[in-house]
Amino acid sequence: MASQTTIPATSGAFADDMHLPKTISVSGLNHYFGEGELRKQALFKNDLDVRRGEIVIMTGPSGSGKTTLLTLIGTLRTVQEGSLKVLGNELCGADRDLIVRLRREMGFIFQAHNLFESLTAFQNVNMAAELAGLDPSIAEGRIKSLLTRLGLSERIHYKPKSLSGGQKQRVAIARGLVHQPKLVLADEPTAALDEKSGREVVTLFQELARDEGCTIIMVTHDNRILDVADRIVNMVDGNIKSDVAVQETSVICEFLKEFPLFADLTPNTLAEVADQMMVHEADPGQQVIRQGEPGELFYLIRNGSVDVLIDDGRQEKKVAELKQGQFFGEAALITDEPRNATIVAKEKTIFYALGKDDFRRVLETSATFEEELRQALFSRK
Amino acid sequence: MKRTTKTPLAWKNLTHDWRRLAVAIAGIGFAVLLMFTQVGFQNALFDSQVKIIDDMQGDIFLVNKAKYTLAAEKRFSISRIHQARSCSGVRGAYPVYSELTTSVLRIIDAGRGSRGYALRSLGYHIGDPVFRSESINDQSNLLRAPGVALIDVKSKASKFKFDMQAPEKLHEYMLELASKKLNLVGTFDLGTDFAHNGNLIMSAESFAKYFPHRKRFGDPLSVVDIGAVHLVPGFPLEEVKQRLEDTLEDDVHVYTRNEFREAEIKFWDKSTPIGTIFMAGKIIGFVVGMVICYQVIFTDIADHLPEFATLKAMGYTTRYFIRLIVVEALLLSLIGFIPGTLVSLLLYTKLASMTGLQMLMTFECLAQVLVTTVVMCIASGLLAVRKLLSADPASLF
Repeated sequence: MASQTTIPATSGAFADDMHLPKTISVSGLNHYFGEGELRKQALFKNDLDVRRGEIVIMTGPSGSGKTTLLTLIGTLRTVQEGSLKVLGNELCGADRDLIVRLRREMGFIFQAHNLFESLTAFQNVNMAAELAGLDPSIAEGRIKSLLTRLGLSERIHYKPKSLSGGQKQRVAIARGLVHQPKLVLADEPTAALDEKSGREVVTLFQELARDEGCTIIMVTHDNRILDVADRIVNMVDGNIKSDVAVQETSVICEFLKEFPLFADLTPNTLAEVADQMMVHEADPGQQVIRQGEPGELFYLIRNGSVDVLIDDGRQEKKVAELKQGQFFGEAALITDEPRNATIVAKEKTIFYALGKDDFRRVLETSATFEEELRQALFSRK
Repeated sequence: MKRTTKTPLAWKNLTHDWRRLAVAIAGIGFAVLLMFTQVGFQNALFDSQVKIIDDMQGDIFLVNKAKYTLAAEKRFSISRIHQARSCSGVRGAYPVYSELTTSVLRIIDAGRGSRGYALRSLGYHIGDPVFRSESINDQSNLLRAPGVALIDVKSKASKFKFDMQAPEKLHEYMLELASKKLNLVGTFDLGTDFAHNGNLIMSAESFAKYFPHRKRFGDPLSVVDIGAVHLVPGFPLEEVKQRLEDTLEDDVHVYTRNEFREAEIKFWDKSTPIGTIFMAGKIIGFVVGMVICYQVIFTDIADHLPEFATLKAMGYTTRYFIRLIVVEALLLSLIGFIPGTLVSLLLYTKLASMTGLQMLMTFECLAQVLVTTVVMCIASGLLAVRKLLSADPASLF
């Protein structure tokens, strides 16, 4: 049998960029507010890994702890329990020097712009550049190009008083990015911006992530920019409820749609199916399922390839070879009969597997597809 | 790494809102003015008290041990002067006579005497090198006539209503000094102080005629108020002073010029409430300035708390913030000091001409107030910096 893991398929742990180093590694993180009787737990045993160059969007209702998690990652709060590693440094018990050093490698973008009224846009951004010790001429070039990029070329030497709300926010964004941070933490960075400049900001984020390997974590409710996320983390009541690699989920959904029985499912349902799948691994030559055994799982090949062998009573014969994106194991689940073939991994192979009960439930959902459509039409206004 | 031109955040924050800056400058300038007034009055008082010492010639001065201040009428015997003359290293010793309580000057107008006021009469032997003032020495010949005197132009105008601008007409006034007829023949410049409303200078002979009661029996000139001793050039001051102390009886103080000055100032500073009153004034000025400065810096911090918290999140250290506030306090003290000093200077000039007191803005006086102002601002800045250090970047999200 293939070895089963507890890793959800949608975590992206086995996606193509799995080799990149982790910028953030959270494990067993608890956090409390208040003291004594008023002590209230805000975070419960959270685990989260974010890799270099990822853009993570955190969502969740207010009070769900996403901001607390963000401030903990940003070294703005002291880690109380659990482990939190940022840029390779453990924050639990970190000293002031380390914290100051880490802060200088991060870029913060707050919901409020927090610009000094007494300084021009250029000088405000320069406050961050100076701290990083950038050469003044290089800094000047960077500041000007950033501000120009953000549509403020005409207003570089204006004071915040003569800038609009959106323009101020863009200056603050430039200040958060000018020192080429390795990690950007942003709180509703686009809330004050119009569609066009919001788009420009997230495009800038994407470039930073792609070209400079900058990791970006955003708390946002702005659904116009959800498309830039590599990963969406949803928090509820101090727990990470879901942590989904967008790209990987979309790959899984594409694969699942190829499966005839799932062809009718809406993207929404497909994403839910993907969520329920777990990662399985098999080494070369390892049997994944054996002919004649009862069937419990439905498999989707994420990486690698397998041979399908059927024993017709006299000898075992290879009837097919399955590759990435193909499935097996559904027949036994549908008919409730034993496995009709043996599957052997040809190489190191990763599967995403769906349990029997979940599989059947999905099929029922598929049957109610028409119902779902009616609902959708009805609720349309 | 290190660069010379950092963004001058302290300066920018300070000068950003000119209205607030104006209020701050006015406040600190006021505190500076308050301190200058106190320091000025105190120095004026002290300088005026010792002006006569500064205006006298001589290296060593002799006074009666019981003469705790210049205004105290304690005298010593002329024989001390003679003894002093005999000491080696002494070129000359000269007596100066002074009278205050019985020296009442009265204007006789149309045959009727008006109310008289006391002033200090000084007497010296014409030709003795006791006064520095050229106007005295130039007019000394005029004083050889009996019953004449020079009057101090700074004598209080409210009490001595003479037209000092026309000294040649002073002799037209009908005057009585200690109930004897007096003619004024000219003016000199000495100045008033807290004990003396005006001054007259006359020859020792005239002096003896006006104040014969100085000594119950005998020559009124046989008791001396101040002895001015001149040294032979080249003789060390301390050595001669020591020799004089050994030679003279124990009833006189032998002072060097500085000791004489200090002893007089010490009396006014320590033995009268004056020193304490001025110290209290200075402390009030300091406290007022500190409160104003604290208020200015605190408001600046409180208004920019999210911005400072952002800087903290960016990785600016506590040291940076403390330096920022100290620089801001320093700038504040300096830009408050300049207008405060200018206004004080104006006030000094006005007061000096009104009161005749010595209102001088000396270098020490400037330095004293400047240092106090800087200390005041930095101290209040450091008090206010706690607010800044409490800025919590976690509250920004």
